[in-house]
Amino acid sequence: MGGSQQGSQDSPGGSRTYGKDTLRPVTIKQIIDAVQPHPDSDFKIDGSELTQITFVGQINSISTQTTNTAYKVDDGTGLIEVKQWIDSDADASTAKPRPKEGEYLRVFGRIKAFNNKRHVGAHLIRPITDYNEVNYHLLEATAVHLYFTRGPPEGAANGVKNEGGMFVDGGVSNGAPAKGGKLPAKITGVGRKVYELLQSEPQNNEGLHVNMIAQKLGVPSNEVFKAGDVLLGEGLIYTTVDDETWAVLEY
Amino acid sequence: MADPLSTPRLTSPHLEHFTSRTIRLVGRVTQLRGDNATLDSDGAVTAHLNRDSHLTVGNWVEVVGKVNGDLSVRVLVSRDLGRDVDFEAVKAVVDATHRYKEIFYSEQ
Repeated sequence: MGGSQQGSQDSPGGSRTYGKDTLRPVTIKQIIDAVQPHPDSDFKIDGSELTQITFVGQINSISTQTTNTAYKVDDGTGLIEVKQWIDSDADASTAKPRPKEGEYLRVFGRIKAFNNKRHVGAHLIRPITDYNEVNYHLLEATAVHLYFTRGPPEGAANGVKNEGGMFVDGGVSNGAPAKGGKLPAKITGVGRKVYELLQSEPQNNEGLHVNMIAQKLGVPSNEVFKAGDVLLGEGLIYTTVDDETWAVLEY
Repeated sequence: MADPLSTPRLTSPHLEHFTSRTIRLVGRVTQLRGDNATLDSDGAVTAHLNRDSHLTVGNWVEVVGKVNGDLSVRVLVSRDLGRDVDFEAVKAVVDATHRYKEIFYSEQ
């Protein structure tokens, strides 16, 4: 059979980059603070590009025009306008009940900028029936914000939150940072110095001996041993020719 | 000047740091007396209600209001949340709001 394979990235539009589509839970304040490097580029929040967002908020006011409905939504962090196109073909009797002022909504959509003003173009809006979803969302937005500003949580990343698209640097599950990246928070001052020395000091593939590290850092060897134990436990370094010679574990 | 757009989430212990600001608070209604209500939000809070507030004792409520000098709250908007609210989640959000305030509100 000589048929050609249809790739999964195929699209009639041609210009969509499906590979980098993202869905980020955010607070409205984050939407207001988002940066857009050039007028046509994707917005960035917490230093990372995104395409779609989701958030929850309370409806302050509703304004219905012929082509769209505009909701002013407030989640306690800020106020933003959410526009949803009206589907004129929809049958009024089967349409979902319209959201009302004071209700909480879940919104999925994109950030749009027009004349220096931001709003959200919504794909999907759904009323929230369980108030716990509001708190859940704010905590999720916090966790994702911390992920992008501080790096993955140490240890906890083992398989638990493996959202494949995020590990762009190939930094895999055990919290090992990419070159020059952040070490897990539990690594102490001496540990960090040991790790940095092992990364920067010229060495052969056997790595460095504890005594050499202690001498270079001016730190007693028992401190180096203790720090080394933690680093070994975190999978950041490994022992080479013997238990006292270490090298940085790199992928 | 306080950020006019945000209503930081609080529980009772935080009120003293937010006097004269408009805030958001979730608590359970423990008492209703005329125009006033007592809420339990990790501590007792006195809420001065407005005409549109319809609270039910035993239900959870979210109020948006202004914090008075005596740490009571003048309610602007209230919303009944029913009986099924996980207050641990509420407290966790309040904690996150203040710990990572950069995504929740601006300092005045």
